[in-house]
Amino acid sequence: MSALNKNIIHGLLIGAYVLLVVIIVFGISAVYSYLNTGADRSSMLHIKIEAPEHYTPKVVWKPINNEGRPIDEQTLKTIESDYLDAWYVRHVAYKTNLKEGIYDFYTANARKAIFNTINLNRADNTTIESTTLEHHPEFLFFSEDGQLAVLKDDNVVEYKRVYKANKLVLETTEIANYKVVLLLEDGFWRIRHLVKEPAINSLDIIKNKPLSKIDIKGINYYPQATPWNLFGDDFNIETIDQDFKIINKANLNTIRLFIPYDGFGKASVIPNKLKKLKQVLDTAEVNHLKVIVTLFDFYGDYSVLDWTLNHKHATTIVSEFKNHNAIAAWDIKNEPDLDFKSRGESLVTSWLYKMATLVKTIDNKHPVTIGWSNAKSATILKDEIDFVSFHYYKDLDRLETTYKNLKASIPNKPIVLSEFGISSYNGLWNPLGTTEKSQANYFKKAQAILKQNKIPFMSWTLYDFKTVPKKVVGNLPWRKNAQKEFGFINTNGEKKPSFKYISN
Amino acid sequence: MKRIFTYLFVLIGLIVLAFSPIQDAPLLIDIKCISTQKIFEANDEITLQFSTSEKVLPHLYYSNNYGSTLIVPTYHNAILSYIIPQKLSRKSGLVNWKLLYKDNSISGEFNIIPKASVNTIETYIGPPSINAGGDDFTMLVVIPTDVFDNPIKDHTEVSIRHQFLSNETNEQIFTKNLIAYKSIYSEEKSGRIIMTSECLEINSKEYDVNVLPNIPTGFTIDYTRNHGYADGNQITTFETSILKDEYGNTVSDGTFVTFFITNKTGHILKISGTTLKGIATAKMIHPDYEEQWMVKAFVNGIAESNAITLNYKSVILDFNISLSENNRIITVGPLQSFMKQLMPDGLEVTLSVYKDNTLLKRYKKQSTTGFVTFNLNGQFLKTDTYEFRIETAGLEKTIKTKLL
Repeated sequence: MSALNKNIIHGLLIGAYVLLVVIIVFGISAVYSYLNTGADRSSMLHIKIEAPEHYTPKVVWKPINNEGRPIDEQTLKTIESDYLDAWYVRHVAYKTNLKEGIYDFYTANARKAIFNTINLNRADNTTIESTTLEHHPEFLFFSEDGQLAVLKDDNVVEYKRVYKANKLVLETTEIANYKVVLLLEDGFWRIRHLVKEPAINSLDIIKNKPLSKIDIKGINYYPQATPWNLFGDDFNIETIDQDFKIINKANLNTIRLFIPYDGFGKASVIPNKLKKLKQVLDTAEVNHLKVIVTLFDFYGDYSVLDWTLNHKHATTIVSEFKNHNAIAAWDIKNEPDLDFKSRGESLVTSWLYKMATLVKTIDNKHPVTIGWSNAKSATILKDEIDFVSFHYYKDLDRLETTYKNLKASIPNKPIVLSEFGISSYNGLWNPLGTTEKSQANYFKKAQAILKQNKIPFMSWTLYDFKTVPKKVVGNLPWRKNAQKEFGFINTNGEKKPSFKYISN
Repeated sequence: MKRIFTYLFVLIGLIVLAFSPIQDAPLLIDIKCISTQKIFEANDEITLQFSTSEKVLPHLYYSNNYGSTLIVPTYHNAILSYIIPQKLSRKSGLVNWKLLYKDNSISGEFNIIPKASVNTIETYIGPPSINAGGDDFTMLVVIPTDVFDNPIKDHTEVSIRHQFLSNETNEQIFTKNLIAYKSIYSEEKSGRIIMTSECLEINSKEYDVNVLPNIPTGFTIDYTRNHGYADGNQITTFETSILKDEYGNTVSDGTFVTFFITNKTGHILKISGTTLKGIATAKMIHPDYEEQWMVKAFVNGIAESNAITLNYKSVILDFNISLSENNRIITVGPLQSFMKQLMPDGLEVTLSVYKDNTLLKRYKKQSTTGFVTFNLNGQFLKTDTYEFRIETAGLEKTIKTKLL
């Protein structure tokens, strides 16, 4: 008995010992592996510093012909980048009335002038949101020891929104010339003197293209497999080609596409995405379709300091395709009026105005429009765009009146119904919804109205979709499911009865 | 009944009036700018005045070089006065303003010019040292500023004075693009240029730039040594002539000179030295066998010397070898130098052991008081006949003997 007890005790002791060893070894190894994970070794040396683009106004250098030491390209780039950052930190400082960042890009004496203004503004509760959209610098002088530079920045376009006690009191665009002395201190090119002078040029005035008539019979397009993600990883030009053939055969001549702002790489547009867009445009051309390209899809910031990034994005895309035969028009943004509530109507409208101006200065061939979500908003900026477009998802009986009222307030510009349609969903979440048959009736009736009033149109949309991303209509199942069945062709690839009324 | 209708009518009328839009009073207000001055001097008291038909107090938007702000008016006798804060009116440059009234259509601009007197002359000079000869130059950049740190207006005269040895120069330049600059060239002599500038009767501090000798040109080398024997003990010193640039300036101390010594077999020994008052020296121990050295010095990539040849005579003409302890101890010596004195310690002697022309072992030892003793171990070299070759100071002797 006692021998058995002894064995049990031995066994327990040995077991406990083994367990203890296991725990210690495990503990040490956990500590060891913890200390060996985390930051990448290359990050120790700070070899790769990723600075996201934060400020990209249009900068056009005049030919380099400076006095003093000849400037090399590398130094010029550094000076340009520090000079622009100096503008950027100043915008931030006046927006927040804080002094951070100013220290890096202004010398001690220049700072004083800025701090004086900031102190005044802070005391008066004045804040200024500003940005510069264009710079035309000329390099004037570089000292022999490479420590001092003088440049002249002509026709700087400055946009400002001045707030008093958080209330907008002034929105202004100014143009001025500046002379700048920069010193190289601690590796930064810092502004030593900044002197404003009158500009020679005046601001660009927005030019319209008189359009008496616009011939659009079209459809908003996403492939069935990749809704709201035309240019993603599953991009398939053959499917798109097939779809375009269907659209062309259905007696339609135009499609409306969407360019996601984030997806296309924001300010630095991803070349691969441009390539895909070119393929789509080329395919459209082959299939005799014109394309309305809607920019800035899923963009919602609009903040003034973001504008230069938006402008770079639009400049890249528009200048790339301004001569493409398939382009019908540029739609600046899809339903921007939906952002009025969260971002403020004044800010969004100013953003649209500047963007329309920009697109027009780059491409003077193609018309520009804004895809308003309803007829009520469609009169906004009517003088700045070439044709009006609005979306209509309400009662068909009132479409004709809505159109006529709009036409009465904008008699001299073509008006396009760039989105309309109805879902054929009648499932669990909406048992009394529309059927495929009533969808067909809807389009039959709609086409009759459109034909009678000669309204150019683009319906929503070619296909029913199996999934709808959250970012489109949110997570609510009755909205999501309804959004899936707006198509003329169902998920099995069969034409729904409405297909008969896809065009007139 | 009629009266009720009348009351009702009046009541309805009142209700309608209550909800009717109030006439926009400002529509009738007439505001006009009455300030005409378009040019001010920094720190002037600037007041923008507007006549107004009604008392309204709109803000004035004010934008200068460095930023924008809003200014509140004072109202007196139908005049709106906007007093520009002194901190803003001190900065020169273009000013835009806008009256924030209705559609902001009342706007304008004026210029603030810097004061016509200089307070500080900011001076930037670089590079701080240049080469003599007249090709190299330094640049003096000055930014004259007024008391409020505004750069003085363009086309203002600046005098640049500089002194070098007996020359004193005074030249006039003009400010352009906020600065004025002048390139100052070196002369043939090395030394120090002292410079200063003057603008509107204000003088800057004294600044100086060193003019360093230019790069050296060709030079000669020589050597000194105790004797010409290859004793492996004495030292030969190599020395350059005074290194000078093409204008006769002695090169800067510390100029690096490398001496290349090529021996009879084509191998190269390298020694180096830095200049002091233009002369660089370097030392090399004598070889321990007869040798001929060819020596040439270089300032790397810049200048080279003539080539000189040195001969070293052998000091040991012959040496003895004696065997003892069953021939297992080989004693070399006495090794005697040129005056028959025993060689200083450290002469290397090599013993190579061959069997049938195959090298079995090589021993190297340094001499002590003129002798070297090799103790051949029985473990390694068994009893047999071997050939021993003994080399020292470039001499070689061979003996064939049997180890017991």
